[in-house]
Amino acid sequence: MTKIVVPGELIAGSPQRIEFGFVENGKTYSSIVGLFDEANPKLIPLEGAYMPVQFDIVVGIIDEVKFAGYNVDIKSPYRGFLSAKDSRYEYELGDIISTKVRDVDEVKNVDLEGARKLVGGEILEISPAKVPRVIGKKNSMLDMIRAATKSEIFIGKNGRIWIKGGNSVLAARAVLKVEKEAHTTGLTERISAFLNEEVNK
Amino acid sequence: MIIDGKRCDGRAMNELRPLKIQAGVLNKADGSAYIEWGGNKVLAAVYGPRECIPRHDASPYRAVIHCRYLMAPFSTLDEHGRSGPNRRSIEVSKVIKEVFENVVVTEKFPKTAIDIFIEVLQADGGTRCAGITAAAVAIADSGIPMKDLPCALAVGKIGNEVAVDFGKLEDNYGDGDMPIAIAPRNNEILLLQMDGMFTKEELKKAFELAYAAFPKINALQVEALRAHYAVKKDEIGIERGD
Repeated sequence: MTKIVVPGELIAGSPQRIEFGFVENGKTYSSIVGLFDEANPKLIPLEGAYMPVQFDIVVGIIDEVKFAGYNVDIKSPYRGFLSAKDSRYEYELGDIISTKVRDVDEVKNVDLEGARKLVGGEILEISPAKVPRVIGKKNSMLDMIRAATKSEIFIGKNGRIWIKGGNSVLAARAVLKVEKEAHTTGLTERISAFLNEEVNK
Repeated sequence: MIIDGKRCDGRAMNELRPLKIQAGVLNKADGSAYIEWGGNKVLAAVYGPRECIPRHDASPYRAVIHCRYLMAPFSTLDEHGRSGPNRRSIEVSKVIKEVFENVVVTEKFPKTAIDIFIEVLQADGGTRCAGITAAAVAIADSGIPMKDLPCALAVGKIGNEVAVDFGKLEDNYGDGDMPIAIAPRNNEILLLQMDGMFTKEELKKAFELAYAAFPKINALQVEALRAHYAVKKDEIGIERGD
């Protein structure tokens, strides 16, 4: 049974290592508002900023061009840095790139690598907590939207979504619908029906 | 001010004013809460963690907390200046900031700032307590990790009687007023200010009354958060993309 826990709520009588939890006097407490399942002790946050994690693929915007590289806005409290040495092309201010987080150190300097410029298209921003829902089980949701709209869609872990070509308006509407109704069950069927209806209009 | 053991608004000594909390009322803020406590109407908004401005305030060890408590010019009978911070609100902002520095897990977000805005739309005594109570809900709503959900309450003295949750009248004409903020998980005191004089016995009595009332306030905070998130319950990730 999953339940909603609040900051300071007791989640285990024994000390346990749980992300977003903390241990005090041999007991484990939650530090966020989230979902907690006792059978599978894991805290899932319901809200929150994107915190970069190594190997995440994100969509960034070039924020500043420097001699050594680029500062990249990755929709997080921290800015990413893309070294000019590692990038094959020169980017300009405002360019949109897909990139991988190479490393995050203890003071949250975010190192990026493997950048690829996303040319054209448009950007959509959603809450990072809802990204898994937009992707779906084994990419199901994403594949469905791609198939119906014939758009190129790229989803960053940071909640930025790049859409290009095809029926991009419909793709954006579908993604926003998923975000809005992320908490409901039977969403895949509903989105499928929604896409069918819109495509055949 | 006390007639037949009842206070000027008909409350018993240990009775709180009607209290209503709502979480997530603002769209653009990362977290927000609205509280109505007696005649108080207070809105709290939280942004962050975000880039720290001014830059030299930032710490490489933890997030810094900025807090701005402000009374709207129309919040009381007498005009409250033109909305800019004054000496009183700067002090209140500082003590509220210190309350949250003790519960927010700031070490997780080095180099950033967490901004708390507390706007008093209508004041009726005990606004800093209402502000702290609302801001705690707003921070929880924003997803910033916190070790506890602080709540606050003002205890005061009318003659030789001690009573909880002073309103404006009692605050102005009573004999003492003591706002207390605690972390309800371990009952740690996060804020304790006092105006007037309390004897040792009165102080003890004041704490007894306050600690009896805190669980009620905390329950309402938790309820506000649960009500806001109940809809979102199965929202996330049982379906996780590989």
